Amino acid sequence: MITLNDYLLVSGLLFAIGLAGVVLRRNIIIIFMCLEMMLSAANLSLVAFSRFNTVNGLPDYNGQMLVFFIITVAAAEVAVGLAIIIALFRARRTVHVDDIDAMKH
Amino acid sequence: MPVYSLEVAVVLLGLVLLMMEAFVAGKDKRFVAHTALLGLGAVLVGSFFVDRTPDASGFWSFYKADGLAMTYKAIALACTMLVIVLGLDYIPVLEKFTARVGGHGAWGEFFCLPVFICAGMMWMASASDLTSIFVSLELVTIAFYVMVTFMRRNVGSLEAGVKYLILGALSTGFLVYGFTWLFGVTGQTNLDVIAAKLNSGTVATVPAMFSFALILVALAFKIGAVPLQFWIPDVYQGAPTPITAYLSVGSKAAGFIVTTRILQVFLGSEALVHNCTAILLAVACATLLVGNLAAIPQTNFKRLLAYSSISHAGFLVLALAAGPAGAFGLAPGQIVAYYLAAYLIMTLLAFAVLVVINRTSGSDDLNAFNGLHQRSPFLAFALLVAVASLAGVPLTVGFVGKLLVFAAAVKASLWLPLGFAIIGAVAGFYYYLKVLRNMYWNAPAGGTLPAITLSGLTKATLLLLIAATVVLGVWWAPLFQLVRR
Amino acid sequence: MVKGEAMLQDYLPVLMQILIASGFAAVTLAVSVLLGKSGKRNAIKDSAYECGMLPIGDMQPRFSVKFYMVAMLFVLFDIEVVFMFPWAVTFKDLVLHSTTAFWSMAGFAFVLLVAYVYALKKGALKWND
Repeated sequence: MITLNDYLLVSGLLFAIGLAGVVLRRNIIIIFMCLEMMLSAANLSLVAFSRFNTVNGLPDYNGQMLVFFIITVAAAEVAVGLAIIIALFRARRTVHVDDIDAMKH
Repeated sequence: MPVYSLEVAVVLLGLVLLMMEAFVAGKDKRFVAHTALLGLGAVLVGSFFVDRTPDASGFWSFYKADGLAMTYKAIALACTMLVIVLGLDYIPVLEKFTARVGGHGAWGEFFCLPVFICAGMMWMASASDLTSIFVSLELVTIAFYVMVTFMRRNVGSLEAGVKYLILGALSTGFLVYGFTWLFGVTGQTNLDVIAAKLNSGTVATVPAMFSFALILVALAFKIGAVPLQFWIPDVYQGAPTPITAYLSVGSKAAGFIVTTRILQVFLGSEALVHNCTAILLAVACATLLVGNLAAIPQTNFKRLLAYSSISHAGFLVLALAAGPAGAFGLAPGQIVAYYLAAYLIMTLLAFAVLVVINRTSGSDDLNAFNGLHQRSPFLAFALLVAVASLAGVPLTVGFVGKLLVFAAAVKASLWLPLGFAIIGAVAGFYYYLKVLRNMYWNAPAGGTLPAITLSGLTKATLLLLIAATVVLGVWWAPLFQLVRR
Repeated sequence: MVKGEAMLQDYLPVLMQILIASGFAAVTLAVSVLLGKSGKRNAIKDSAYECGMLPIGDMQPRFSVKFYMVAMLFVLFDIEVVFMFPWAVTFKDLVLHSTTAFWSMAGFAFVLLVAYVYALKKGALKWND
């Protein structure tokens, strides 16, 4: 029997792996994938919460509605984000965060 | 007219501008900016005559039209219009950095996207549900990704864009995860219902605090407070200057209305108010310290304004943390609105001068301001007024804002944060007035430079902002009435 | 089935598990960076072994930016189905109460149409130029 806690644990793992990837990886594309993973983590736990927080015996659809919006916004973010990363790659020939140093202090 | 017709009108205006930009022939797309100015001006006037009474439809659980929302809508509209005016002055730079090799620049969209951003910020001002907060906030953020990166032949702009993108997406992740847990513990998405539920005593406090921390980190990115403040100097420096101004004022203001609304939920809960206030005060102190001390050694005016923007965020968080008492009959949310309205006037004044300097000398360094007094006494005076107000010199609008924050902190007996705020204000005097030395006493390096001529629109805007800074600094009533609506 | 309300008290262990999880992820990644020396590479090691032709030119052919453009536009216009599907499923019930359901989707589709016309006019979908 899968309980709410199991879902939350997987979602927490996804979020943590995503966050660790953002902090540790140096390739912008991979960082961006990790960021999307954090959003998926939120989606998973939202769906789990709405499944287990029942209203009159039905899942709470408010949470699932929020998931729809997160999915679409994430897609828009990916489209714009990849366009920006490609533009940077064409200008600098790199997708490495350590090479992003045009701004001097 | 129902109040949400304002947002609909702004979105339609944006779509019309986009179509005009795409279909009207010719290389000079200035008419897009002029149409945007006219349209936004009409909406700004219209915002004082809309019907704000909610009806029975479910729409009003996503949307709120209280006085605070209307104030922030006005701030968003005014800020967008001023940014478009700055953008008109910035066209030569845009032309240079968007042109294909041997071709023309493409900057028509530079005046379309801010209109969509404005719609998003107006929606944020009214958002009262986790869903509408998330969607409107992302509309603003994603459009800003594009705007920051707009000068695609300029490596600084691209790198600023990537930095903004990564940290913006990170903050989105935190926000969504925080919302998830808030939804998990309360089972609700409407802020008012969440507030009631959190106050009922049936909610587990640990996950609620967890969601508070996650949401606060995400909002700290938007408002430029510790712990997600480190993107600000780099992104501000790399972004096109009008967009830097927009980020600094518009994006911050929109972030603060959402912060105000979400904090009302958490600070209204007896079980959570103690811990939440402690975290907020820590954030306020750290932000004040980081912003003000890091600003002192700066030699680039754009970076200086970036750190100044961080330190102002510190003052604003302090006002929110000072509790429900407020000061001078204003609630904390209204103090923040007042401060932001004042901040809009003085910051855009400083950026308007910076855009002209940047266009004529191609640099944002403090050295570029050398001898400005000889080149254009009017510009030098405008910047004098702006930095005096940013520093909080009496008889300017910035002084009143700081006074309100200090009064609120005194009323709540927050002596330690007050000490940080005073240190910050004193440091502010030093680094803001440093630029005066450059303008009035330092001679320009390359001998005397030619005088600067200003367009009529720029001159009128500068005059308007100078007048607003001084007049509203003496005569407080109009802004008080605006935020008290 | 245990109801969600009763589980709200059990979140503290979950939070601890999240901390452990983040620690686990951090340690794993750190170990892979420290131990996983991707080998000392040199030109000879990277060249084709014994037989076979030496590669000529760039290993990764550069794709035209058109591919990315079309892919991005596809993602953007594709994802809208997320909203249209639940709308279509419940439309019959919703439209009995009021026409709001119809007009809100019409407005949504109108915005999409404007975006499509814009992309078309800007030549984002042109393959040969």
